[in-house]
Amino acid sequence: MEQNIIRYIQEELLNGREDIELEAEDNLLTEGLIESMSMLRLIQFIEEEHDLKVQPQDMTIENFMSVEAIVQYIQRTKSPELQ
Amino acid sequence: MIYTLPDSVLASAQKSPDKVAFTDGKQTLTYSELLRRMNQLANALLEAGLQKGDRVGVYNNRGLETGIAIYAIMRAGGIYVPLDTGAPPQLTRYLLEDCGIQILISHPSQRRKLKALLSEVTPLQTLIGWTGAEGLQCSSWEQLAEKNGSFQSPFPILEMDPAYIIYTSGSTGNPKGMVHTHYSGLSYARLTADLYDIDESDRIANHAPVFFDISLLGYFTGPLVGATTLIIPDAYIALPASLSQLIEKERLTIWYSVPLALTQLLQRGVLEERDMSSLRWVLYAGEPFPPKYLRELMLQWPNARYSNIYGPAETNQCTYYNIPDPPQGDDPIPIGQVWGNTEALIFDEEGQQVAEGEVGELLIRSATLMEGYWQRPDLTQKAMYIRTNAAGFEERFYRTGDLVRIDEQGRMQFLGRKDHQIKTRGYRVELDAVEAILVAHESVAEAVVFPVPKEDDTIAIGAAVTLKETDAADEQLLRQYLQQQLPFYAVPESIRILESFPRTGSGKINRPAIKADLINV
Repeated sequence: MEQNIIRYIQEELLNGREDIELEAEDNLLTEGLIESMSMLRLIQFIEEEHDLKVQPQDMTIENFMSVEAIVQYIQRTKSPELQ
Repeated sequence: MIYTLPDSVLASAQKSPDKVAFTDGKQTLTYSELLRRMNQLANALLEAGLQKGDRVGVYNNRGLETGIAIYAIMRAGGIYVPLDTGAPPQLTRYLLEDCGIQILISHPSQRRKLKALLSEVTPLQTLIGWTGAEGLQCSSWEQLAEKNGSFQSPFPILEMDPAYIIYTSGSTGNPKGMVHTHYSGLSYARLTADLYDIDESDRIANHAPVFFDISLLGYFTGPLVGATTLIIPDAYIALPASLSQLIEKERLTIWYSVPLALTQLLQRGVLEERDMSSLRWVLYAGEPFPPKYLRELMLQWPNARYSNIYGPAETNQCTYYNIPDPPQGDDPIPIGQVWGNTEALIFDEEGQQVAEGEVGELLIRSATLMEGYWQRPDLTQKAMYIRTNAAGFEERFYRTGDLVRIDEQGRMQFLGRKDHQIKTRGYRVELDAVEAILVAHESVAEAVVFPVPKEDDTIAIGAAVTLKETDAADEQLLRQYLQQQLPFYAVPESIRILESFPRTGSGKINRPAIKADLINV
């Protein structure tokens, strides 16, 4: 899941910039790697890939600051018993 | 007396030293701290060899250091040049070269982008804010704390001296640098402070990145009146639910952004759960606000007043329209009237003032007008209309290239661009420039780039190309190629490859037909 999201960000959102290497724990937001339209595309991608709906109140820094955080968010949302 | 932009910081630091000048929601910088850190960095700049009028790049995202950097550069006698960290490295290297920038101020958070930027030759000699670059004189933000916190300027700096250069896209594909002076920047700060009654009790939201002229309200007007400016960190910009929380927590009184940011707040900001009653002005600029979203927002935040601000960055903005009530229908919102110290002309094709109510190009003379384009007297001359006044001196009007009309109520209405320039997500894009880059690709024979109106009333960019040989390229390859050359917002959303273009009777490419075909697909 992690690699899948990293690949999407790298290929689709980072303007194909191969010079930027991305790790799961990298902060996508403070470095300005992802701007607001890209974030919407990323959320759409996650919704389609994982068959879930990201609610507006879930679109927060805590849930989307890194690929790691996104993966945890998906896991929590898919299996509510983990909460 | 205040006649340069850093004088605002000096005056506010003297009047209210412990008042917060800039905050990012977590850290704060009082006016006395801003003064000290501005002086320390100004001293470091002089030590790095800065001479009066030298251009210094600011390569950072939204943050307190950006505020310190722009004031320190101007304080030292330099000209600050804000750079878009999201732009492709080639484009940024072009700007560094074009502007002859030898000193760059950045931040460790930009290290990845800096590495990419510095992987090829640049004119840079000094990098302040990150110590990881080889071959450059580097120093960190921490090291600046050791510098002298008071500053004695070795250069006389007058209000007519250049203070900052903001770059825009140019019709030949190369961006143009708009040179503004302390006078044009301060005039902007004074006019906006007066128009919206901004004073030291205000808390201003700075949503725009520093390379966007909308950021001048937070960076210039705030310190002039001694208000507090919240420099919204990038993390919040992308996530409306967190952003609305921040607005509530910070008790902001003045908001200023592109309409898109407000639309996103409206759609994903969970506004019904937030108390926004502190907001007294919601200002927007950059592109038209779809009336349906504006209406929704005005009903959602009934306590605030709303104002539509218009103006090309060449003028630092120049007109305003205070929206009296939520719009009833879907008619575009007027751009209103020119603000103080500003004169407007509306010219027809022949350069004559149009008759009352007729459409023409808007020309602007204002205290906020730029000096000209950086080292392009030819372009500056082309952009200006000169009128001789009674004393025999020249009055300069900027030709905006925007078509306007005065309606029955005496309000100016914006009717679009004269040429091929559009606004997408608040950014200005020259469609001709995108076309020129596409055509420059080795496999591309012809290209057409056009605006695509979207369902949510925003404008996207579409492109169609024909190839020199069948299958010589595909959409993905062309997209990657464009992404190397253009900022993200100028890359077309779709690039269609056609066998051939339809032609008009005279053999010209039938642009309307291509556009109509592709938009309806």
